[in-house]
Amino acid sequence: MSAQVVIKGPERTEVVKAWNDQIDVQVKVAGSGPALVYLHPAAGLYWDQFLDKLAETYTVYAPEMPGTSFGDPYAIHKVDTFLDLVLIYEEVLRKLGLTRPVAIGQSFGGMLMCDLAAHFPDIFSKIIPLDPLGLWRDDIPVLTNKLYIDKPENLPGYLFLDPSISAAQAMFTPPADPEMMVKHIAHTVWSLGCVAKFIWPFPDQGLAKRIHRINAPTLIIWGKQDKLIPVAYAEEFQKRIANSRVEIIDQSGHIPQMEQLDKTLALVKAFIAS
Amino acid sequence: MKVLAFEQLAYRHFASDYANNYDSITTMPYHTLVDRKLMHQDHMHFLDEMLHAARSGFDGLATTEHEQASYDILPNPNLQMSALAYATQSEGLDVGLACVGRSLAKSREPLRIAAEYAALDQISAGRLVAGFPIGLSYDVNRNNGIPPIETRARFYENLELIKKAWAAKEVFAWNGKYNKFPEVNTWPRPYQDKPPIWTPAVGNPVTLAGIIDNDDAFLYLSWFGPKLTGQRVFDRYWDLAEERGKDRNPYRLAFVQAVFVGETDAEAHREYGPHIEQGYRTGLGSIPMQSLGLPGYIDIKGVEFLIKDPGDFGIVPKMRTIEYKELVDQQCAIVGSPETVTQQLLEMVKNFRIGHLVIMVHIGSMPHELVMKNIDMLSKHVLPQLKGTWDDENWENRWWPSGAR
Repeated sequence: MSAQVVIKGPERTEVVKAWNDQIDVQVKVAGSGPALVYLHPAAGLYWDQFLDKLAETYTVYAPEMPGTSFGDPYAIHKVDTFLDLVLIYEEVLRKLGLTRPVAIGQSFGGMLMCDLAAHFPDIFSKIIPLDPLGLWRDDIPVLTNKLYIDKPENLPGYLFLDPSISAAQAMFTPPADPEMMVKHIAHTVWSLGCVAKFIWPFPDQGLAKRIHRINAPTLIIWGKQDKLIPVAYAEEFQKRIANSRVEIIDQSGHIPQMEQLDKTLALVKAFIAS
Repeated sequence: MKVLAFEQLAYRHFASDYANNYDSITTMPYHTLVDRKLMHQDHMHFLDEMLHAARSGFDGLATTEHEQASYDILPNPNLQMSALAYATQSEGLDVGLACVGRSLAKSREPLRIAAEYAALDQISAGRLVAGFPIGLSYDVNRNNGIPPIETRARFYENLELIKKAWAAKEVFAWNGKYNKFPEVNTWPRPYQDKPPIWTPAVGNPVTLAGIIDNDDAFLYLSWFGPKLTGQRVFDRYWDLAEERGKDRNPYRLAFVQAVFVGETDAEAHREYGPHIEQGYRTGLGSIPMQSLGLPGYIDIKGVEFLIKDPGDFGIVPKMRTIEYKELVDQQCAIVGSPETVTQQLLEMVKNFRIGHLVIMVHIGSMPHELVMKNIDMLSKHVLPQLKGTWDDENWENRWWPSGAR
């Protein structure tokens, strides 16, 4: 991987009024071609090379969870429960006019995507959870709480097998401008706080009871060395979703699309094309 | 001015380096570290010392709540306060009883707090000060599982519910966001028409504005180092009070200050110093900084403010390895002869406009005999010098319980 990570980023923002017009949901969009929905993890939407690459073939729609959009932090206070959140996302996708798009969800985004697919079995044509949250085994605790209680400097170690890779460094480097740096750090901390509303103290909103309702073809991708959500959870998802298979990606922690971009991208594209 | 005695119920017998072996005092193992007889003894000494302070001339006693913490083993301070309410009532000691705990944001049973406080006010015939802190992040969020971003909203709903439960003339229903009660009819109600409310806080302007608008009193603490944080936090408070149309009545303010008195300055430093250093290092100092504000606990504007200017934390970030001299220099503890202590306290009280001085008389490993001595030195030599402060300004103290001296 080159030392300099160049990211094109989203091309435009669509604002969708949702929840009886109380919330302006910002959807970052890029690319052309068939619609593909991407649901972001707990730290908020970070547009990476994976999304850039997907945008070469698909139109990528990435909604930002209420509260995590820059400049609109208090939208989270309008969302009381996880059911509220699922209904808001369904409304946003409906209002975007997307017809049974493919969906990819990373970590918390994967949990949300699975619950959308369980609540509304026809909403997605295919789903691809990337190291998703949502299930819980007492004997293999998911370590999301460490993201909230450990020292900030330790966080990369939970997310990456090798936090020194340039993609990881780029993600954790705040803007150089002092004013923007303060806003960026506060925004990231707040985004984690917003998502904690649905994953604290456990990332378990009862998906285990509803997951059998998912009927979309499902490709579960997991980083073999994921420290946050151990790879054993891949099988837990696979055995509960009827039409699903698992791909384990070696030499990757919690974010395979960053640590093994090419392999992950190839699997995703092949699955969508199949 | 009113002067109260305050203690945390610490386990006093840890090895001095115990905090080095554990990441946080909130997660250290009980059975490995504690001797049951010594734990019992500490519980008794706590009550003995507080009662001694009541008998020695303090105007009031104060306790607070900390859960799952070795430095203050008062998961429900109302239990201890109940014993003290009965004991002081039996002896005719009409001291104020300030429960500056109980943490409201974490409470899933706010009506139980309403009833407990009311019972304390009944036993003591109207001597209760009701404290309603939001609660520390590690306790609200880590110990009790409340999502950090709900902390403040839960605090405000619980406070509103308790106030209504005390005042309502008829049975009412409460269909809140966090509480659903078809019939609320709290028994007993407080002995006082309206117990005074003190809210402990660390200087967040949003919290201070809420305290001022509710016409409650603000309680602040010396643990961050008053030399570093006192002026900025108190100036902020009084400026906000003025902006929001309130007077500069010193009784709007309570301040917890650790004070330790010996015969001479040198003697005081020798006797109390090691316990003070150990107490701060292994108390507040051994709570990891990030546990004081999990993501979402502090409003996004507050986070921006703290990144730009972390001054409100005072010396907390270096507390784990702090040297005794710095604790004294920054007035985390005021230590010395009666003259030294009195002079520093009077200067502080006048400068910051403190109407209720809450003196922390024990810390960390300090043994019972030394605490009793401190209480004696304070009551004989310092309290008489503080009495009458503010009398010349003729303020009404609406934040002191009607049944107390």
